[in-house]
Amino acid sequence: MKHIIHDIIQKLNTPEITFGDVRYSTTDYQSIFFEKGNLKHFSSDTNNQALGIRVLINGCWGFAGTDIINKIEIEKTIKKAIKNAKEGSLFKQQKVVYKPIKPTIGSYIYTPKENPFTMPNEEKIAYFENISKLLTQNEQIVYSNVNCDFQRQYKIYANTEGTFTDSLVYDVLPGMYVLSSDGKHNYSRTWPGHMNGRRGGFEKVKACEFEKNSERIIKEAIDLLKAPTIQEERADIIIGGGHLALQLHESVGHATEADRIFGMEISYAGKTFIKKPMLKNFKYGSDIVTIFSDSTLEEGLGYHLVDDEGVPGRRVDIIKNGILNDQQTSREIAPLLDLEPSSNMMASFANDIPLVRMTNFCLAPGQGSLDQLIAQTEKGYLLDFTKTWSIDDNRYNFQFTTEIGYKIQEGKIVGIVKEPTYYGITPEFWGSCDKICGQEEWEMHGTFHCGKGEPGQAMHLSHGVAPARFKNVVVNVKA
Amino acid sequence: MESLKEKLKNIISDYPQLKIQLYLKNWQTDFLRFYKSQTNYNISKNSVTLYVSIYKDKKNYSFEISNPSEEQVRLQIEEALIYIDKLPPDPYFIDLENDLRRIDEKQKDNNIENISLNRKIEILKHFAEAVKPYDFDIYGTFICNNETNWILNSNGLDKVSKVSPYYFEVKAVSNKNEVTVLESFGSDNASALDTEMILSNLIVKIKAAQNEIVDVEAGDYEVILAPRCIGDFLSMYAWSNLFISSIDRKNTELDGKVGEKVFPECFSLYDNPRHPNTVNYDYSHDGHLYQNLPIFEKGIFKNFLVNNYYAHKLNVPENGNEANCLVMETGNHSLEDMIKGIKKGLYISSFHYMNFINSRETSLTGLTRDGTFLIEDGKITKVINNLRFTEKITDVINNIQEIENKASTFPMSDNYGNFSIYTYSMPHIKVKEFNISSSTKTV
Repeated sequence: MKHIIHDIIQKLNTPEITFGDVRYSTTDYQSIFFEKGNLKHFSSDTNNQALGIRVLINGCWGFAGTDIINKIEIEKTIKKAIKNAKEGSLFKQQKVVYKPIKPTIGSYIYTPKENPFTMPNEEKIAYFENISKLLTQNEQIVYSNVNCDFQRQYKIYANTEGTFTDSLVYDVLPGMYVLSSDGKHNYSRTWPGHMNGRRGGFEKVKACEFEKNSERIIKEAIDLLKAPTIQEERADIIIGGGHLALQLHESVGHATEADRIFGMEISYAGKTFIKKPMLKNFKYGSDIVTIFSDSTLEEGLGYHLVDDEGVPGRRVDIIKNGILNDQQTSREIAPLLDLEPSSNMMASFANDIPLVRMTNFCLAPGQGSLDQLIAQTEKGYLLDFTKTWSIDDNRYNFQFTTEIGYKIQEGKIVGIVKEPTYYGITPEFWGSCDKICGQEEWEMHGTFHCGKGEPGQAMHLSHGVAPARFKNVVVNVKA
Repeated sequence: MESLKEKLKNIISDYPQLKIQLYLKNWQTDFLRFYKSQTNYNISKNSVTLYVSIYKDKKNYSFEISNPSEEQVRLQIEEALIYIDKLPPDPYFIDLENDLRRIDEKQKDNNIENISLNRKIEILKHFAEAVKPYDFDIYGTFICNNETNWILNSNGLDKVSKVSPYYFEVKAVSNKNEVTVLESFGSDNASALDTEMILSNLIVKIKAAQNEIVDVEAGDYEVILAPRCIGDFLSMYAWSNLFISSIDRKNTELDGKVGEKVFPECFSLYDNPRHPNTVNYDYSHDGHLYQNLPIFEKGIFKNFLVNNYYAHKLNVPENGNEANCLVMETGNHSLEDMIKGIKKGLYISSFHYMNFINSRETSLTGLTRDGTFLIEDGKITKVINNLRFTEKITDVINNIQEIENKASTFPMSDNYGNFSIYTYSMPHIKVKEFNISSSTKTV
């Protein structure tokens, strides 16, 4: 395939094309879904090829993608991309300006410890069947499922500046879910929670210890049927890693995607409350809050040699000691903010256009263990396992509900609460962060399903976080 | 494509011991995205994907192939046969779809050709010029899809459905303060695209958006919900509580209530793919004939949406409806009169980022977007910051006070995958005691 990509780049090296790039991907996917103890769905998608060609002509982008890879179709795709750029430029006032960067040539192959695509299918099925049976033993559990998605993606990226890279990565997304009912009310528990995507192979599935945790989630789901709700108006909350990853994702990650500043996402995903003058001076969080984007962390789903417009992977401190320091940017947008490109332009598949996306978006660790943090909390709640999330289109007002809350009194967990719901305003909330646990609690969480763009793309990305405490948060919101 | 179809038919007959379902999708899109009254990017995509599901007795394996060939399909079936016997069975699988009824195939236009990129750009230039005097710019999307789906199975099903919907959504955003208003339209009929009407509605909203921006306190309000809002609520309600699978998942309070009055008499809802204002879909994903289905009539719950699998599992008749063509019956109030009757309340244009807190109970939270207005003494007087609400969908329906005497058509999309476009037809509704739980303090 590499020679075909070289040929396409040759064809894009013309005076009328300011910049052009080509991506090719071939993706293998497998999905296993057990429902109430039975195999409901087992499917695969093998060698799913895609090609995307993007050109910049007269200061306007044109893009065309296809999954039909042959000479005729490739020629048609090149012509379509060029036509889209030329005709689009008739409705374009601010021309895209592109500063050249040094080309990168490289190759990256990730090797999982246990390759899910070479494991016998019956071995994988038996593993999940065993777990699914464990979830059907209690009559108060009225519904359960166990599921896992595996993805392997090979990608080539090349551009007219001379960059040429290829990569092969493996990702897994394992989870289980139980629903308890007393006939009137239902409560759910999941494991390992909402941010369950990991870079790796079947060893990452085993690391979730499903069998060990099945008894725990069944008990907690049943206990939730009789659990109280939070009564206080405000409380101190410790947010566990899985849910904090989503809190970070929604209220900082998306808010600092710089295409939103310029309204490029108004039509779908929304804007951001951040404006250019806030850079380098806006107080986004407390002094202990440092948040960074780092596409060089190999354990994350967002690792890459170069992003999908040839910018080498790098770390950028987005929030530094509480101050808004930088943004997630593209080569088009970074100069408009007097910043360097942050290596955040990514597309889900080769036939998708790249967008400003999170890669590995992380909260820097503080100090101490979760047990120590609970012991240091006189009164409050430990909240974890996302149930509901919602944030406004400026990424300013959010409201989250977790599956369960653990009540803390005098430094100890003394009970549980159901459907704890908290609400906040982004900078006030991050400003109330007074403790972040240390490296020993810091872990990569991830998702396959970060949605953005039109046509929509679901991105694989990761968040490194450790549990953290937030003071005096509004916790009593009810429908 | 035709030769591939013949080969695929042969594959089915070559494996009489299997139940095989094939779904071949040929999909194209031309997708223009614009911002700040200029092109953001133009995308063209096409794909040919074959979805294959094979059953050996009650054991199932599925796969998909992009740009398929006969050899690939045969190879993957042969591979599946090696291990399908080792898979655990699904005891609830009985049979594939066996509804062989066909709809008379109509000639359908290809709207990628009918609404060319050049025409889109001419329309957008016109809109951009028209909003400029108000110091607004336009942002949005203009999408045309064209797809052909062929469904074939071991029970003799052999059906083709074609659809070529378009989706035009334009937001006008103030350069002064980012106040945003929205107009959208979708259809599979290119001649139904009345750009002057869309523009004139947009300008009316832009004029209302010139007013002072204020905030309101949390609390219960009398509200007018625009058609898109009630459409969003009913879509979420359908997906969580109205599909028959929700009984199996213990996720609906409507279990056992068919024939019971559950909502006010003014509320009727249909899933109608033959409605003149909705994008017409011929068949369900199983290949069942997709027909008009009453879901609620005069407040009485009439039908769950039932596909082939759950029809067998729960032993209920299949209807094949998929909530892609929801039509709410109109009432007898003009929008003007509905607003006139409100002393202090809100007009809500659109929702953003709704998610269930408890889907069985239909409690959810979300935000307003793209134009929230204060109504005082029967008139729209001010712009309001976007607001968060925390509500139950069933409470909203039970609190309907008035329904508009006409409906609007608007496009919906799941956005992902093949950007499926469908349309709903809904009127404005007036609702009492709508729970605003906080303000975003931003527009």
